[in-house]
Amino acid sequence: MNRRQRALAGLEEDIREHLGRETRDNIERGMPPAEARAAAVRKFGNVAMVEEETRAVWRRPWVDQLLQDLGFAFRVLRRAPAFTAVAILTLAVGIGLNTAVFSVVNSVLLRPLDYPHPERLVWLGDYNPHVHRDMVMLSDFAEWRTRARSYSAMAAFSYQQIAVANSRGAFPVGAVLIGGDFWTLTGAFPALGRLFAPDEPRSLVLSWDVFQRQFGADPHAIGGAVTVDGRAATIGGVLAKGYRFQFPRWWTAQHPEPVEAYLSLVQSDMRNRGGQVAASLKPGVSIQQALAELNSIQQHLHPPNPARPASPSRLHIDPLLDQLTSGARRALAVLLAAGTLLLLMAAVNIASLLLARTSARRRELAIRLAVGAGRFRALRQLLVESLTLALLGGAAGLLLARWALALLVRLGPASIPRLDEASIDLRVLAFTICISIAAGILFGVAPGMALWRTDLHDALKEGARATGGVFGLRIRRLLVAGEMALAVVLLTGAGLLLASFLRMNARPAGFAPEKVLIMNIRLPAARYNAAAQQAYGKELIRRLESIPGVEAAGISTQWLYSGAPAFPNDSSPTATHLLHGNAASPGYLRAMGMQLRKGRWLTDSDGGHVILINESMAREAVGAIDPIGRSLSVPQPAVVVGVVADLRYTRLDADAPPEVFFPFQQTSMMFMSDVAVRAGNVSGLPAAVHREFAAIDPAVPPYGMKTLDRALADTIAPQRFNLFLLGTFAASAFVLALVGIYGVIAYAVAARTREIGVRVALGAQRSTVVGMVVREGMAIAIAGIVAGMAAALALTRLMASLLYGVNTTDPRIFAGASVTLAVTALLASWWPARKAAGIDPMIALRDE
Amino acid sequence: MELLQGTLDLLILRTLAPGPAHGHAIAKAIERQSEDVLQVEQGSLYPALHRLIRRGWITAEEGVSENNRRAKFYRLTGKGRKQLHLETTRWEKLARAIARILKPAEENPS
Repeated sequence: MNRRQRALAGLEEDIREHLGRETRDNIERGMPPAEARAAAVRKFGNVAMVEEETRAVWRRPWVDQLLQDLGFAFRVLRRAPAFTAVAILTLAVGIGLNTAVFSVVNSVLLRPLDYPHPERLVWLGDYNPHVHRDMVMLSDFAEWRTRARSYSAMAAFSYQQIAVANSRGAFPVGAVLIGGDFWTLTGAFPALGRLFAPDEPRSLVLSWDVFQRQFGADPHAIGGAVTVDGRAATIGGVLAKGYRFQFPRWWTAQHPEPVEAYLSLVQSDMRNRGGQVAASLKPGVSIQQALAELNSIQQHLHPPNPARPASPSRLHIDPLLDQLTSGARRALAVLLAAGTLLLLMAAVNIASLLLARTSARRRELAIRLAVGAGRFRALRQLLVESLTLALLGGAAGLLLARWALALLVRLGPASIPRLDEASIDLRVLAFTICISIAAGILFGVAPGMALWRTDLHDALKEGARATGGVFGLRIRRLLVAGEMALAVVLLTGAGLLLASFLRMNARPAGFAPEKVLIMNIRLPAARYNAAAQQAYGKELIRRLESIPGVEAAGISTQWLYSGAPAFPNDSSPTATHLLHGNAASPGYLRAMGMQLRKGRWLTDSDGGHVILINESMAREAVGAIDPIGRSLSVPQPAVVVGVVADLRYTRLDADAPPEVFFPFQQTSMMFMSDVAVRAGNVSGLPAAVHREFAAIDPAVPPYGMKTLDRALADTIAPQRFNLFLLGTFAASAFVLALVGIYGVIAYAVAARTREIGVRVALGAQRSTVVGMVVREGMAIAIAGIVAGMAAALALTRLMASLLYGVNTTDPRIFAGASVTLAVTALLASWWPARKAAGIDPMIALRDE
Repeated sequence: MELLQGTLDLLILRTLAPGPAHGHAIAKAIERQSEDVLQVEQGSLYPALHRLIRRGWITAEEGVSENNRRAKFYRLTGKGRKQLHLETTRWEKLARAIARILKPAEENPS
């Protein structure tokens, strides 16, 4: 209870007591009781009024006035339902989209990791330029972990798709082999069973989800025997339900599935395997200190070799959170910027609407000023109205955001980490309230300024005509021009994304990825030696080709080889190359839809050192010369027998790399292979394919089975997501610009009804009137568009990393956005212009 | 005679100077002390009391009156006592000044 409540408590009792005493006094003086009571009340005065006045003593005047202003604001808004609805809807879109994007930013970028001491977690990266990502040799990791003193824990992981089989069948699952202090680092604890110790082989730890899905949450499965890639293992334990693998995953484009199984990295894995490393810094150790130590350890491990030029260190240490979110940060920044522009446009539109209303309410305001309301008080009233509107819009925006967020989480690509956890929490709520208030102040300022300059005398003199004068019209023209500029920026940005999306999706004739089913297989090395692998491959291809409707089927193994010797086209004989090698059966290339440009295909009977190359490889190796029949070192010498057209068949967001195709029968390395099957109709194909696999070896199931179309679409899921969002923003911006320019021109026409009437009466042609109005609209639009192009030129540069095959200053996109908006402006001003031309001078002048 | 504005506050403070009292007692005391010259509706006492509470010059507390009934007692605070002194001095000055203007002959026989 505060002072006010304490003081006012018992006021009525106090007064009743007072009257009682007075009555008793009167009775003692000899009055009859009834009269005594009446006399007491007479002497006291109006009880209700006294109570009211006493309460009034405690009232804070500003709260009082605020409540009054609020009540008035609600009445004003209710009286103009159309305006209120349009304004709230506009704001809901602007605030809602911003809230949704901010929820994503909050979840992806701002929230700390769910691991212990998230602020101390760092990423130890060794950038490998050949694979374009960080890869630490695990032998190095083992040395780092024993020698480094900067960390309280260090862990490594290495991705691997595995096939887990139990008595009920086999299923593929995304797994990581982990080493070092992985469990400590991530604060993992088991829900069931136990977590394996470092170096403990053949013990499998499962995620809660996969345990539910594949083992029916059966606790007896713990400790049970399974096979992992054909080798015996046991299920050691199940991780707690909320446990998540929150590390950068370079493989998400190809394998978006979550990490659901964990195995230990054993000693033999450490020798020639690459992985990723994270660590927890000791308190007080800086990243610079840790990096200096790491560099010195690395130099000790790999002393400079005088035979080779010293390479600059590629080691780097970054906060784990930064590393995890680096891929999403640019896109989210662009979306947040786009959201801000959209909200600005919404505010401008409402400011423009409010200005039109203020001018209609000019007389009301003038009267209020005339009867003694201070200008500040009247200003505050307008501001309270604006803020009420803004907060109502914000509330509607929150509803919209909840819905939009659910949609975003569903559409969002797996490669945006932690997107699935996005929700509207307190921080998001605070953000929404802040931007609502900011928007309210922003669009409340314009009518406030207009009011400030109102000449009381003129306003009252003008009489009852609400649309007299072109009150605030100049500000409104400026606002709408600004709005056009913002729309140009948003439309250009969305246009650039759309153009690069179309470029990514452009496919050559005959590719038809929707007719291709792809999958991976892994042959356990323990049971399949080189000869057995070849036999398996031949049998698989034979069986797949025999499925009715299959046009082509094949198998391929891809690898990278760095350090291939110089090609004929190289200027220096010491140059080295990175090779993308692909040992592919003839059916694989046909199934993929490759097109032969020169020479011949590889055949099953190619035994010698012959290769097929793609056009990029031909350009890199021999330039403009015909490569057929030439020998290339890949790294052994081999003769080029054919050239195929470049085809982006593994990912859409990058050009096809120079690639060398070897005869499949020459490889003995099938530790991870791709299988492709092309058929006229793939709808029944997966079941048939699964049957054939099971018929050969039930312990080797195919995994990651999907159409090539789907797989390729997955590789550009982030881009599609960005396009979807920015496209929504641009579409909203477009509508806002349309409404904005229409509103201002329609208002200008209404304000000039009398003038136009006079013109028509004096013989002005209808076409002249139309031209006059349209010219006014176009002047605003063109000014806005020119300013917008300049702004877009400066801003789209930030999007460079999000684009593919499109320049950030592509003139076609800029022209497209500008022309679209110009045409829109033309239509939006033509409509009121036609109305203006239809003005009957008799009616317009009688309006006087 | 109507009560001058602001005078009521002073009278309440003066009345509470000897010790706490409840509302009715204050009203009676004011009437008695001013020998019924100052006519005021007793009700107007209450807004004045609350104005004084709000300024921190008096406090209100629950208590039991002489005939064993619950009542609210108003008590002068230290701040209120200072204010009473200040107001009294000012009032006396003002009264003297007005008196001088109205009866110059009596005050200044020269």
